[in-house]
Parts: sequence; C-alpha cells; structure tokens
Amino acid sequence: MNFLPMIIVFPLIMAIIMNLLHGKEKAVKYLTFATAIVLIALPFIGEYGYYYFSGHGVVDGWISGIAYLYNPAKQAVIITLSLIASLVLITGMGEKLKNNMFVTLSLMGFASISAIVLADDIFNLYVFFEIISIVQAGLVFLSGTEEAYKAGLRYMIIGSVAAALMLLGITFLLASTGTLNISDMKHHLLTDNPMVYGGLLLLIVGLAYGSGLPPFHNIKADLYARSKGFISAMLQTYSKFVLVGLMLIILKLFNGLSYFSSAHAVLIALGVLAMVFGVVMALLQSDYKKLLAYHAISQGGYVATGLALGTPLGIVAGIFHAINHVIYKSALFLGAYIVSCKRGSNLHKLGGLLPLMPYVAFMVLCAKLAISGVPPFNGFQSKWMLAEAAMQVNMPEIAIIMIIVSIGTFVSMMKAFYLIYLKPVDEETLKEYQGKEVPKLAVFSLFVLTALCIIIGLDPSLITNYLWDYAREIGVNYCLK
Amino acid sequence: MASFITSGLLVVIGLYGVFFVDNVLKKIIALEILGSGVNLALIAIGYNGGTIPIKLPNVPLNVFAKESAYPLTHALVLTNIVIEASMLAVMLGVSIILYKKYKTLKGSVILKED
Repeated sequence: MNFLPMIIVFPLIMAIIMNLLHGKEKAVKYLTFATAIVLIALPFIGEYGYYYFSGHGVVDGWISGIAYLYNPAKQAVIITLSLIASLVLITGMGEKLKNNMFVTLSLMGFASISAIVLADDIFNLYVFFEIISIVQAGLVFLSGTEEAYKAGLRYMIIGSVAAALMLLGITFLLASTGTLNISDMKHHLLTDNPMVYGGLLLLIVGLAYGSGLPPFHNIKADLYARSKGFISAMLQTYSKFVLVGLMLIILKLFNGLSYFSSAHAVLIALGVLAMVFGVVMALLQSDYKKLLAYHAISQGGYVATGLALGTPLGIVAGIFHAINHVIYKSALFLGAYIVSCKRGSNLHKLGGLLPLMPYVAFMVLCAKLAISGVPPFNGFQSKWMLAEAAMQVNMPEIAIIMIIVSIGTFVSMMKAFYLIYLKPVDEETLKEYQGKEVPKLAVFSLFVLTALCIIIGLDPSLITNYLWDYAREIGVNYCLK
Repeated sequence: MASFITSGLLVVIGLYGVFFVDNVLKKIIALEILGSGVNLALIAIGYNGGTIPIKLPNVPLNVFAKESAYPLTHALVLTNIVIEASMLAVMLGVSIILYKKYKTLKGSVILKED
C-alpha cells in the first residue's frame, strides 16, 4: 500500500486537532513537538511513481481524479520543507503567541505546499494555491499589529485577482485540451492554439504572484517584513517552493514546444528583474527584516532564472538553489528573530551584540557568506551551477548579472552585520540588552541550519543526485547562436 | 456564445472595480464579480447540450458520461465557490478590524504602504 497521501493528509488532520485544542497550552506544546518529529519522517513513507485518487481515465480518458507524482526531485524538496517546518514549529514552541493558531496555520501551509509540489493535476494545484494565500495572510495577522493587517489585506486582495486569473488560465487549458491531468494534457498541446497562449500567460501571472516575482515583489516583501522572524522563515519557504512546483509544471507542459520560446523569454526576464529589483531595494532599507525580505525576492529571481532556462543543468541548479536559499534564508530570519528579542529590528538602533552572543553572530555570519555565494558554503555551489547553466545556453549576460547581484547582496549583508553586531554602543544599551533573554530553541534551529549550510556546501551531490533524473526528463538541451 | 461574452464582461468589470474603485468593500464586491465571471466561463465550456451532471446510483457510468454535461467543470466550480467564500470572509473580517481603527473604508488610507 502506498502511503504517499499521508504527506498531505497528516498535517491537515493535525491542523484540525490543534484548532480544537484551543486554550490547552500544555497539550498543544507536546503535540506540536510530536508533530514536528513526525513531519521529518513523512517524505520517506511514500513510494515513487504516479498516484491516482478515484481512478484515472474512467470514461474515454475524460474523467480523472486527483493525481500526484512522486519522484526523487520532489522528495528532496519535501525533505527540505519538512525540515524547515519542524524547526520553525520547535522554535515557535518557546514563544507565547496564540500558540495553536500558529501551529494550525503552519501545518496547513505544509500540506498545501507539499500538494503543490506533488500535484500532477492542475485543479488540485489551484485549490492548494488558494489555501496557501489564506495561510500566508493568516500567519501575518498573527503578529497582531495594524501594519500586519494592512499587509495581509493587500496581499489577499491582489491574491484573489491573481488566483481568479490563474483559474481563467486553467479554464483556457481545459477548453483546448479537455483534461486537467498534466501528463495527459501534454499530448494535446503539440499544435499551437491562441487559447493555449492565453492559458500559459495567465498561469505565469499566478506563478509571479505565488512566488513574489515582479510586479508582485513589493506586497510579498511587505508580508515577510511584517511578521515575526521565525514566521517569515516559514513564509519565504512557502513561496520558494510554490515557485519550484509551478515552474516544474509549466516546464513539464510546455518545455520543448516551438511556441514556448517567447514565454521562455518572459520567464527569464521576470527572474532577472526580480534579482535586480530585490537587491536594489534591499540596499536602501534601514529595517533588518525588510532588508532580508527583499533579499528573499532577489534570490527567488535566481531560482526562477535557473528553472526558466529549461535545460537539465538549469533545472537542477534552480531547484538546488531553491533548497539552499530556503536553508540559509531561514537561518538569517531566525537570526533576525533572536536580535529582535533584544531590541527591535531597526538597524540604526541596534549595535554591539557580538560580545553578548558570539556563537549566534558566528552562525549568522556563515549564513550571510552563504547567501553572498562565498565558498565553501552551499550558496556558492548553486550560484556556480546557475552561472554555468547560463553559459551553457550561451547567455553570458545572465551570468554577469548574477555575479553583480551577488556583490550587491554581499555589500548589504556586511553592512547589516556591522550595524547589528560590531558597531560600538553606550553602557545603557548594554544594560538593556542584558535584561532580555535569548530564545534557546531559536538558537538550536539556527545551529542545525548553519550545519546544513556547511555540509551541503562541502558535498553538493547530497542534494543534486536526487535532482538529475527528473531534470533530464523535463529539460531540453539547446544553445543560442 | 452569450455566456462567454457575459463572463468576459464580468471579468472586465471585476478587474476595473478592484483596481480603480477606492473603497475596500467595493473592491471585495468586485472580486466576487470577477470570480463569478470565471465560474461562468468554466460552466460554459463544460456545457454540451447534455443533462445536469448528477450521477444517480442506477445509471451506469458510460451512459452517464454520454448523456450529461461535462461533470469535471461543475466539480471545479463548486470547489472554487467554497474557496472564494472563505477568502472573502477573511477579507471582510480584516476590513472590519481596520475600519474600527481608521473609521474609514477608503483604500487609499487602509491599504496604504509606508
């Protein structure tokens, strides 16, 4: 028997149970810990291959139920997702917020993202795409400030528009192919048809919204910046994997078709714009979390560019960079959370934290070097692969932009490091710092993530071995003249 | 054809309302109109002159598939209505919270970025 659906069903059931345990703090705490442990085991229980609910191709191949596809590449993504989710849940245990709501929403988010990554039928993908936007807004509302409500409402209004347009795109694809199953739909797309162009374009709108590519980068960055540090770690994980999931589906459907080349260019342009906008906006920020939020957008651009190249190497590099980015950016957001427990996140009011938390500072420095692409950390490995993929299709200008953006990232990261940890401060501030405790669970999560940064940086084949098969299946080799 | 034109009109009205009307409540109503337009388009592509796609227990599957309209789109629309309703409920709740704070529903005040 195949237990694959448990990846989606188990977190949903736990989310409902957590919701019923309102007010019973101890029970919620123990159950959260147990769930966090089980989440890590979940990606290993499913078998590879297709999984169909309620049959497939019942009458002349017209009616078919929910379909999932599980393979090593998707397994690697879900392993990372479950790791981050359980670390964030464990960190959240030490925090006194409306505890069970946070756990409920995170688990719903986990279920939706795994469904988006696994989905092999478009409507299932759409349903969870909508759920994830409610979940993200809800996680932001948890911080309870007025700014958070504004950011969440903005996100939901734009989100409803983008989701409705994406559903219209799905309608177009359904009208021109007669099926929603992705593997079946591929066979009907060979002839070009204006309706299919419309469907593809509207799918790209949904992709840009779900992953914070331009023109949606501002609302997405606002969303990250307004929530608590460890919740932002969760939120940016969600959007990176939405990007990977949707992009893999678009590539699986259209890659290699003659009319895909212009959409190809649009996707690459979106990725490059996200890279540049993100890093330029980040250089201007004086709020630490907002700075990190714009870097999350910028790194999303790297992932989108790599995947949009559409070659096997580009796809591997894109997914690998998504995984690496999720790891080090979560570490950075957790670092921001630890700092904000001392004194907010305004860079001009912080300083002199190095003697108080030398280990945290060291781990955050490792994550900062990783995001700027310095060897031997994991960011270097995937950025190198991305540049290589761009050179392979004869687009050296993309590799150059990637390197320039990396330099911008390094500059703003080091500026933030100086302002938070090294800048000298007066006696009074030091006393204020000493009165407040460091959340120990967050430091533990930070340690695990930093260790992963170094391990993957030393041996990237730990992850890339999982990715090559699927990338060769959906990727197409080509070279521009 | 008429249903496609109607759904196109609904989508355009909805998009106009969301982006150009400066009132959060009206924006949310416009989202509902936009959603209805998409739902109508979905229903319309599934209609082939058949009967209502409800499978009764005594009808065999292949007879049902021949006689009824395409059932997949109806399932999609039902699901979409449910999701949309929950999204709208959350949005309305948040706008009430923000209204209590600002005493206005103007989008330029409530949704302003700073």
